[in-house]
Amino acid sequence: MSAKTPPNVRIFAVKTRFQELAQRPGGVPRDIAIQQAETGIEVHKADFVDWAEHELQELSRALRSVVAGQADKVRIDEIYDRCRQLRDTGTTMGLPLLTFVADNLCRVLEAVQNGAPYDAEVVECHIDALFLAKRHTYRNIHPDQVPEMTSGLHRMLERANRSIPGRSD
Amino acid sequence: MQVADHKPKSLKNVSVNLRDLTILIADSGPFMRRVVYSMLRGFGANRILEAGDAAGVLSALMQQKIDILILDAKLPPQDGLAVTQAIRRNTDNENRTLPILIMTSDAHQSTVKDARDAGANMVVVKPMSPTTLYDRLVWIAFDRRQFIDCPTYFGPDRRFKIEGYPTGVGRRASDKTIEVAEATEPNLEQDDIDSLFQAARAGQSE
Repeated sequence: MSAKTPPNVRIFAVKTRFQELAQRPGGVPRDIAIQQAETGIEVHKADFVDWAEHELQELSRALRSVVAGQADKVRIDEIYDRCRQLRDTGTTMGLPLLTFVADNLCRVLEAVQNGAPYDAEVVECHIDALFLAKRHTYRNIHPDQVPEMTSGLHRMLERANRSIPGRSD
Repeated sequence: MQVADHKPKSLKNVSVNLRDLTILIADSGPFMRRVVYSMLRGFGANRILEAGDAAGVLSALMQQKIDILILDAKLPPQDGLAVTQAIRRNTDNENRTLPILIMTSDAHQSTVKDARDAGANMVVVKPMSPTTLYDRLVWIAFDRRQFIDCPTYFGPDRRFKIEGYPTGVGRRASDKTIEVAEATEPNLEQDDIDSLFQAARAGQSE
């Protein structure tokens, strides 16, 4: 760090309560803590499938309303938010393919939010893929194990990104 | 004030004690909150609060002392980074130095930079495993960075060197600890160094 500190800059040390207490001895040993956490997550895996099913039904409902001509920012944002939640939890719950498809759809919707035209068929195709990825037979299937699906979805994303106004590539 | 240097040489196998620490999870997704809650319970935490939006976070901060905030970067209605800035920039707020761990769905460098500039202590990318979350908590627990208070920024010093996360996450398998032996001879004087360079230059010119 430089010897001179500007007069309007204050640099100070902080030791938070979190640091003080977290460094106490007597915590759950690391390996056991992680194992207990994994066990805790395992309990939720059955619930996750039901929750994901509900989210996908809501996604389909939102999609139908957009297709019916009520496309607006609120609907797109609703689809995006539900999709984001599936993306954030899928892999942790043992469904990495669900996370991949949801992530791809999120990126397509981000392109739409950035001005790309909304293509209902692209969104519908992703939602079909999400229903597929949620099925029991696709549990623990990674994206690289289904290259046909992943490359197709990637192409849709690339097309959406190319159609953002002002994008040079 | 100087922070005592308790950081162990290696954080591999270091544990954190989360008992009696109040942890606030802020994410709009109920299932995501449930997942993080379960992880923290497994780590030994027994005081865990949840908030689904920015108003919930600010309300919790006003009502009680929060020890660490685990905050989604896209927390509605604005986003988690705006909440971070609000916490850091409020001079009347006793939680100004609260450790903040940002959860984000995208690992773009710009997102990490934005989180850093907002005053976050650390970023974790979702979906996350228990190991990843645990390592970030250990990192924050032993982080000795100072705080910077200037007209444009309040938060942990942004100039810090990433030496890899605790327990070796992000390091190459081939990386090894370097042992440096004790010096057995006195350091060279400047005259000695100059003469060595003179000899080297003379050798090059021949």
